[in-house]
Amino acid sequence: MSELEALRVRDEVLQAMYWMRSEGLAERPAASELAGFLAVPAQTLGPFLIRFAEEGYLDRDEDRFSLTQMGEERGKHSFADEFADLTRPTHGECDEDCWCHSSPDEAARCLEERAHAH
Amino acid sequence: MPTEPTAALPKNFLRPCLLLLLREEPAHGYDLLERVQSLGFNGSDPGGLYRALRTLERERLVRSAWEPSESGPDRRIYEITRAGMEELHRSAKAIAAGHETVAAFLGRYEEFVALSRRGTSGQQPKRKRAQVS
Repeated sequence: MSELEALRVRDEVLQAMYWMRSEGLAERPAASELAGFLAVPAQTLGPFLIRFAEEGYLDRDEDRFSLTQMGEERGKHSFADEFADLTRPTHGECDEDCWCHSSPDEAARCLEERAHAH
Repeated sequence: MPTEPTAALPKNFLRPCLLLLLREEPAHGYDLLERVQSLGFNGSDPGGLYRALRTLERERLVRSAWEPSESGPDRRIYEITRAGMEELHRSAKAIAAGHETVAAFLGRYEEFVALSRRGTSGQQPKRKRAQVS
């Protein structure tokens, strides 16, 4: 595995595990559960999980993995970093007090007008 | 299909469903997992929901932020963006068009066989199939 690939997978795994934990879905998922959650083959993910445990991001208990303090912090922060530029309003988005938020009808009319304007 | 549907649903139906649920109100992942069941999904695939939300966020159709929790780790709360509302509106129009086509199909099929549907079981066909002598 390349280092770049390992870093990408690491952040993806830690983010997913943090999300699962924060939603009360799983504290110590099995490797197969994580693989299913991320829609990747278990045999592909397995070596990465072992490596992340050796690096101190995960605690390993046989086939189950949980976030260490370091893994938890990395998962939370990398999640925020990844979407940081997406959480700001984009061009064309209205403010929270925009008239079109008043009712579904007004929102639909606004969308139609914008669609015709493009 | 990212989550298991309980009925024959349009391809990628989870996307507009999530946008609709977030149009109704911002929500956490687990809340969405429960509410999506009212739209024909059985809620047994949280990974599918997670991946769908990430895709929607990458496409800027939803955005999320950490919300502090007093009783555990911070939770990600999702809300629809303006672009998401537009996508939802386009999807709703496409679904409405598809609904008319499906209704026409079912209407014609039920000329021959009555389908047992929610609240309509036991109906007789409108007409009998032509007999082959």
